[in-house]
Amino acid sequence: MAVAEPFTLVPPRRGLVRRREVRAVGRRAGLGDRIAIGVFLLLVVMAFCAPAIAPHDPIVPAGAPFTPPFHGGFLLGSDEVGQDILSRILYGMRASFIACAVVISSGVLIGGLIGLTAGAAGGWVDNVLMRFTDLFLAVPGPILAIAVVASLGPSFFHTLLAVSIIWWPFYARIVRAEVRALAARPHLEAARLAGVGRVRLALRHLLPGAVPAALVTASLDVSNLIIVLALLSFLGLGAPAPAPELGAMAARGLQYLNQDWWVPVMPSLAIFVIALSANLAGDGVRDLIGDR
Amino acid sequence: MARLIAKRLVSMVVIVFILAAVMFLLQKLSHTSPVHAYLGANASPQAIARESKILGYDRPIPDQFVHYIWNLLHGNFGTSLRTRRPVRTDLATFLPATLELTVFGLFLAVVLGALLGVASAARWRGAGFFRLVMLSGASAPSFLLALLGILLFFNTLHWLPQVIGDTSYTNAPTGPTHMPVIDCLIHGDWAMEWNAWVMLLLPGVCVALGPAVSIGRVLRTSLVNNLRSDFVRTARAKGITERTVLFRHALRNSLNAALSMTGLQAGLMFAGVVVIETVFAWPGIGLYTDLAIPAADFPGISGVTIVLGIGYVVINTVVDILQSVADPRVALK
Repeated sequence: MAVAEPFTLVPPRRGLVRRREVRAVGRRAGLGDRIAIGVFLLLVVMAFCAPAIAPHDPIVPAGAPFTPPFHGGFLLGSDEVGQDILSRILYGMRASFIACAVVISSGVLIGGLIGLTAGAAGGWVDNVLMRFTDLFLAVPGPILAIAVVASLGPSFFHTLLAVSIIWWPFYARIVRAEVRALAARPHLEAARLAGVGRVRLALRHLLPGAVPAALVTASLDVSNLIIVLALLSFLGLGAPAPAPELGAMAARGLQYLNQDWWVPVMPSLAIFVIALSANLAGDGVRDLIGDR
Repeated sequence: MARLIAKRLVSMVVIVFILAAVMFLLQKLSHTSPVHAYLGANASPQAIARESKILGYDRPIPDQFVHYIWNLLHGNFGTSLRTRRPVRTDLATFLPATLELTVFGLFLAVVLGALLGVASAARWRGAGFFRLVMLSGASAPSFLLALLGILLFFNTLHWLPQVIGDTSYTNAPTGPTHMPVIDCLIHGDWAMEWNAWVMLLLPGVCVALGPAVSIGRVLRTSLVNNLRSDFVRTARAKGITERTVLFRHALRNSLNAALSMTGLQAGLMFAGVVVIETVFAWPGIGLYTDLAIPAADFPGISGVTIVLGIGYVVINTVVDILQSVADPRVALK
């Protein structure tokens, strides 16, 4: 999108300050952004290669329980039954990334569909759909998700379902706002005058314009989602006991914190690392796409 | 203004009603029948039929729904399958501790968020550092903060007590509110008052940091944009000091976005409260939820959900009203 470089409007100041402003305003994707995206992709690849690179089986004891990190062949130590924490973290990361992909794509799909319909149709359709969306935003999402999983029974699939139910309204609002803004532009008027039908107008002329905003939102969303999923997993709403899930590992290791700190801390740190990397990569994607 | 408040109050009622309807629906979808769960696996069919009749589960669904809403309006949330007590009694026992933690957490989140936002947007040397702090804070799950906090302040430095079950706490006054911080104040017990604050500090910070960072990030973005706008340039051109420009001109215009974020973050904060109460064995409804989940105690969970839902709606209503105070244009929309 051709926007005049805004930083040329800022009066020149002292060197240090000005450089920072240019960096903040210009939003050029630099080397740092590329590295951030690269690191995140590396983590994703590592997680999906977990069966190949994990040193041990994640749900079979591989040695003495409570081995400290860097001892007995356990890089991150072993847990209360002697399972390798590193292997469990790799598999847990894979579960986190799969969950993120499912929830975000369903959010983009449902939210995109509702936002596009509302924005393209306008009038009472827009009104009804947006009221419906606002309703979802008016209740505390994570708490509702806890209730949904609790009623359906704890499992990985039900967690995904519950989080997907609460996650799409943000996308609906963003896509709708973009579509509404686009609908007022002259090229839409031209297309309409040329006799383009409603559906084609929505799909070919409005939807592509909303894609960058949805992508940027999605990329900035990954870290939040990882944390919300970890919270639900921590409360025991994910897959049952031996399954390697980062939040559940931290919750079950909690009782060993005082003597064997690495049992709960390592999985929590893993969540922090992937969320931080997702945050940095999200900023990078935003800069690359060049949209705010 | 009065119209805005009236409108918000009506929509509050509607939202809570719909939340209650969703809870009813989830109860119907639930894989465990409350009658079976209550009587146990070995109950005879006759006993189940009798209990179903007493609880009204043999009636048509719309009838049950009316009954459910009627009960809710009278503060009857059903009977907990785990504690076998009315959920209302349970909530009354556990709510004060949560209220104490949540109100303190929300206060901290707003104050820290404002500080982080201003500190990272203003033009000074430390701004980059604060951005780094915010990025890390946004990436840390609340239980990681709790674990590291316990390891550092309790295990290594011995500064803070780890759990509320500390023995020095047992003879604290149990006053009218059941919130130690307020009760000790009412009873004039200063040693216990100090103790109560010390207990509250670490859980409060853990609950507050995530929302604080989100509020701070939104405030920063908004401030940076406002600091680049024409009216700020005019203000600077008039020779006003940078501090006045920041606090008097840019900040008020940036409050709106930060306030919306505060309202939104309350939902995430409630989930954080549930987790943090679990980590610190804080005797609130979060701990109650954590115990209710493995017991499949749906009446308990739906009671908590409705109470927290009301809390969320109230917070967001207050936010809406504050927004129209900060920016009178909001009320006109």
